[in-house]
Formats: sequence, C-alpha cells, structure tokens
Amino acid sequence: MSAANAAPITATDSLSQALKANIIPNQEYLLQGSVLDSAVEVLLHRLRGLCDNVDAGPETFDDQEVCFSLRDPIQQTAPLMLRVRKALDARDMPYQLRYIGQPDLGDKNRPTVVRSSLDIACSGMLIEFLNELGCRIEFEYSVKGYMFRKGRMKITVAKVFKISQSSMPPEPISQSYLVELSVLAPQGQDAIGEDMRAFADQLRPLVQLDKIDYKRLGHMAVT
Amino acid sequence: MQQREEKQLENTIQAILIRVNDLKGAIQALITKLETEYETINWPTFLDNYAILSGHLTALSKILQAELATSLRSRIVLPLQLGCERDESLARLTEGRVPACTHDLVPDLLRTKPEPQAEQRLHQFNHKASTLSYDTAQKQVAQFAKVVSHVWEIISKGREDWEGESMRSAGIQPTHILADTHALVTAVGTGKGLRPGMPSIVPAGIGGPGMGPSRGQAPQMGPSTPAMPKAPSAIKTNIKSANQIHPYR
Repeated sequence: MSAANAAPITATDSLSQALKANIIPNQEYLLQGSVLDSAVEVLLHRLRGLCDNVDAGPETFDDQEVCFSLRDPIQQTAPLMLRVRKALDARDMPYQLRYIGQPDLGDKNRPTVVRSSLDIACSGMLIEFLNELGCRIEFEYSVKGYMFRKGRMKITVAKVFKISQSSMPPEPISQSYLVELSVLAPQGQDAIGEDMRAFADQLRPLVQLDKIDYKRLGHMAVT
Repeated sequence: MQQREEKQLENTIQAILIRVNDLKGAIQALITKLETEYETINWPTFLDNYAILSGHLTALSKILQAELATSLRSRIVLPLQLGCERDESLARLTEGRVPACTHDLVPDLLRTKPEPQAEQRLHQFNHKASTLSYDTAQKQVAQFAKVVSHVWEIISKGREDWEGESMRSAGIQPTHILADTHALVTAVGTGKGLRPGMPSIVPAGIGGPGMGPSRGQAPQMGPSTPAMPKAPSAIKTNIKSANQIHPYR
C-alpha cells in the first residue's frame, strides 16, 4: 500500500479492458460425434495423419469431471452449472473450473454449436470452496482418451466412464468413443466454424460430427 | 503400358510419314512432267499420274481412319507463338516452303479454323438462331433445361444406388451409431445416466479390460457429498451474494 498517486491498474481494470477489446476467447465452437470402439483405431490413424502434433504421437488424457450446480432458492430459474476437472494421470496439474453456457445452435447455416465457455485453473481447495458456496454435486464421470491439435482446433477422442462407488472398474457409458471438435475464440470469429466443418468432412464417413442439442435430447427416451 | 503406347504412336507416325512422302514424290513427279514435257504429254499419261496421286491419298486416309490413329486424335498441336520473322529451322524442315510461322498460314496448316463444312453448318445455325423470336427461344431453353435436369436426376439416382450397393458389397461396417452419440453427449452435457442411483445406459460387462488404473484412491472430489448439509444458513446468504455478482445468470 505505497503512496501511488496515479491510480494503480487493478486486475478488474485489465479484465474489463480485455473484455472491451474482445480478446478473451470465451466462445466455444463445437461439433460432436461418436465412433464405435471397433473403429476407433482407424479414426486415430486418420487423425494422426491430419493433425499437427504428428511426430510426438497423440496426447493422452485421463480426467475426472464433477459437475456442480448452484441453485437460486428465491428465483426458480435453472441452476448454474459449474464443472471441475482433475487430471488423474498428472496429479500435480491444477484443477480446472469451467463454466459452459447454453449451446446456441442457430439456424442450419451456422456450421457449429456456439456456447460461451470460461476456464480457470484452480488449486485443490476448489471443491471445498464450492461446497461452502452451496454448490451441490450433480454428477460425475471420468474421460480417458486422446487429444489432437490442428491449428486452433482441438480434437478429443475419449471414452466416458461412469464412476462406480465400489472398487469395481469404471463402467463405460456406451460402446463408443465421444469425438469432439472444438475451438475457443473471442466473440464474433464465426469464420472458424467453416474451417471446422471442412475438417469434420474429412473425417467422414468414419465419424459424423454434428451440432447436437443435448437439451432437446434430454427429453427423449434413451434407446 | 506407357511405353507400349509411345511405341504404337511412333509406328503410326512413321507409317503416315512414309505415305506423305510417297504423295509428295508423286506430286513432284507430276509437276516436273508438266514443266518439262508439257509439249509431248498426252491425256492418258496425265490421268495415270492423277490415279497415282489419288491412290496415295486413299492409302493415307485409310491409315488415318484406322484404329491406329485413335491415339493421334487425343493429341493436340498448339501453336504457342506466331511471328513474321523467318525461322531457318522451320524453313529447312519444310524445304523452304514455310519460312515463318505466320498468321495467314497457321489457320490453314494447323486447322485452328473449323473445317469449311463445319463452318458452313455453324453459319446456318447462327442464322436460324438469329431469326428465332425471343419467346420461342426461351421456351426451348426451358424445355432443354428440364430435359437435362431430368437426365441429371436419373444419373445421380443411379449413382447413389450403385455407390450404396458397392458399399454394402464391400462389407463396410458402420463406424458410428447415432444413438451412441446422443447418449454420450447427453451424459456429458446433462449427466443423464451418470447420476448416482440411476441405471446406466448399457448393461455392465462391456467395460474393456485394462481401461485405466484402479480408481481406488480417486481424488477427493468424489466422496465429498457428506460435507454439504452443514451450516445451511451461511450457505443461503452466500448463494445470494454469489448470484448477484455472477455475470452469467
């Protein structure tokens, strides 16, 4: 607290400045699909050929994600969802706290789903902090798979597991791998969507990457 | 394959060259005869010479029409540069007949102009088109477009059928299932099938062997539920303030 006459630049200032300049990559452009376990090797092979990090081989990851909800007791609005992710294979890495907004599918001319997304690295105290805030655990799962990069695009091919309470091995959700193609970008950079479409087309017919509205699917019966 | 084709082409060109040289010789002989014996030449010998000429011409056209010439048809001679200056090598090649690759010679020699018959027909069509009224022309264009689109439809339908069939006959297995995509996306998005106490989407036992390490000492996040029902009043106030400052509500 020294006597600084000029107003010091606070974190809030620089944040609002960055917001104003629209340089914060807070929009996620997303396409989703799946590939059967039997065909995942072919897909990985193709991705290895298409993506940037070829020589190093695909990056693997093994994460656990817990989804918290924060309900407003007064207004009966939809609860705020917060996701916490922890790498199981690299325990010294920080936790990741993530907010994901409502997916906006737009009309059929829009190539990808767009949703707001904010990520921040946190310490291990995060869970306790969220609990103290009044967040409740909604669900949790683990994802284990591969990550590829192509320019700004991120491609993940991962198996989703249900976490069992007992010492049973984790149980996969389905016989397929979840495939996601995503880009984080500042608002208004819609051109990236076209690039993603073009890339997704290169994975056909192996994987059909599409805009999927899970809100609408949530009401449908599971087949 | 390529070599065989090249050899064939070479043979064809050789044969044509021989015929053309024969023809040239015959024409030269006729010209010499006309120039030297114009006083003594009689009609039957003159006609004989003509017969020789026409024989050579028939032989040449036979070669060009034969199967051998098909590869020639797909070849294109493209005059890259025209000029009025005398080209020594060209003059030597043509025995002094064509001294330069000029604008008045090339259209005839390389047939960059359509054949006279084709040109005549083109003129006829142009004339016919210019006398046609606008409405009739429009009608005909529309009709033609209709026919073309119909044919296009038939062809693309046939192609689809054929491609589908070849896919099936090749025994290509589906590599993705839409239902699985939906199940995975809803699970990750809304937690469907992941909430405790709910049945999972697929029956147990599909879990591949060796998937991941044992989750015995999974991080502290999982079983932290019991800590929650504590201090409800404090939480409530916290919620309020948190909601007010949260910009994403």
